[in-house]
Amino acid sequence: MNITIDWIAFVEVFAAALVAAVLVVGFYAIGLRLLVRAGRVPVVAPVEFTDAITVISEKEARRAAKAAAKAAKKNPLTEGQKLFALVCAYASFTLCGLAVLGGLLLIVLK
Amino acid sequence: METAALLVALVIALALFFDFTNGFHDTANAMATPIATGALRPKVAVLLAAVLNLVGAFLSTEVSKTISHGIIREDSLTGTTMLPIIFAGLIGAITWNMLTWLLGLPSSSSHALFGGLIGATIVGASVAAIDFGQVLSKVVLPALIAPFTAGVIAFAATRIAYAITRRYDNKPDGRDGFRWGQIFTSSLVALAHGTNDAQKTMGVITLALIVAGWQDPAHADPQTWVIFACAITIALGTYMGGWRIIRTLGKGLTDVKPAQGFSAETATASTILASSAFGFALSTTQVASGSVIGSGLGRRGSKVRWRTVGRIAIGWVLTLPAAAAVGAACAMLIVWFGPWGIAVDAVLAVAVILGLFLRSRRNAVNSANAMSEVAESGRAVKVKRNPPPTRRQRAAMRAEARREREAAAAAAKREKREKEASK
Repeated sequence: MNITIDWIAFVEVFAAALVAAVLVVGFYAIGLRLLVRAGRVPVVAPVEFTDAITVISEKEARRAAKAAAKAAKKNPLTEGQKLFALVCAYASFTLCGLAVLGGLLLIVLK
Repeated sequence: METAALLVALVIALALFFDFTNGFHDTANAMATPIATGALRPKVAVLLAAVLNLVGAFLSTEVSKTISHGIIREDSLTGTTMLPIIFAGLIGAITWNMLTWLLGLPSSSSHALFGGLIGATIVGASVAAIDFGQVLSKVVLPALIAPFTAGVIAFAATRIAYAITRRYDNKPDGRDGFRWGQIFTSSLVALAHGTNDAQKTMGVITLALIVAGWQDPAHADPQTWVIFACAITIALGTYMGGWRIIRTLGKGLTDVKPAQGFSAETATASTILASSAFGFALSTTQVASGSVIGSGLGRRGSKVRWRTVGRIAIGWVLTLPAAAAVGAACAMLIVWFGPWGIAVDAVLAVAVILGLFLRSRRNAVNSANAMSEVAESGRAVKVKRNPPPTRRQRAAMRAEARREREAAAAAAKREKREKEASK
């Protein structure tokens, strides 16, 4: 019985998955960081405050929104710098989306 | 001819039922973390998962080809021999799936399917009818490597997500924004699930059509109606299954933070999608569990609960041989009793399906019998409420302490000087 295993395929899967994940997470995190720098701290309260899922309470969400507003008010950047950071943040989110679309396209066209 | 047609119809019906249970069971893999972190409303999450599973089933057919044209040497078997084997294998897979579901044991639908088919083929045909090279390279090795790979990738992604968004001035870090991102990453996991899991059923149906002589063996691609039937069935299963699973949420995954969930889902989706492109038939549950453990370890101050990991791993290791044993037993009945064996197997299948239906109507949903695997994986890593400081935070704390010491020394010196001056 001759068993041949394509080890290179495993390495390729690992490398492709690692690069894709790092690009997506990296670009998204950079986008969030730049959004915070632009004074627009995202505060995303859970869509539903249920009994079963206790992620954060409504009180905690309100406190987070207050802290975000305070941080935005105290932002030391000029309006121009804030706008630049915001544009870069959206560019980073776009790159993240393009990385996902590119990956899917590679699979469909394979 | 009539018997073959009847058997093909039975195989298609059973395969589609397996597809339905697969979607039913695996909704949690895609939607557990976004619901647990509050990123999506449960109803929206399940509907989204169902639609994306449907779309994913159309993206790639590599995994289907692995099953229909590789694992079993269908050219060495005739239709009359092979069809009862596929039938027995499917019963083995469904029986094992149901048993583990009832007992709350971690299991993998995909490995149950492979185990059932392999066990039934060995007993119903011969060991030589199995291409062990293909089994090893496309099923066993990916099963062993993929959860580990996903875990490593999730670990690295979590580290990156936390490092980039970390603030040293105690101001808001904006990590809440990962909750938005989770809507997309969980959608990607659902899509990836469709590209891998729906393909397995397509592969089984295509195999049945090939051995019955209704499809050219040279063209192992699934026919369009097979793709549509499997895609719709897995989407329906995903939509129906979600309701039970959602009720158990919050028990196992409340510790998953948005940044961690985002990283885990990205790792799961990228691993499954890359594997699907290469035709590796993975267990999506195992990959999702590996990612949840890896991302948990990526957080500072985390510790692995090895006992929980061990319990999950034992369930994984057991699935293939156990389903093979059940598949072999079903095939044995066919070998001994011929058509009567098929009838007994059919009765057994109906009993199993009926049992599953009756069990699902009983209102006994808990974390043990629904989304056990992924939730268990969330519990496999213990994360400290107050994680230890990073290197940069330690350096800042040391600098702060040094500044305080120097200020205290300067104040003492000034006080001493003032005292001497007053003397």
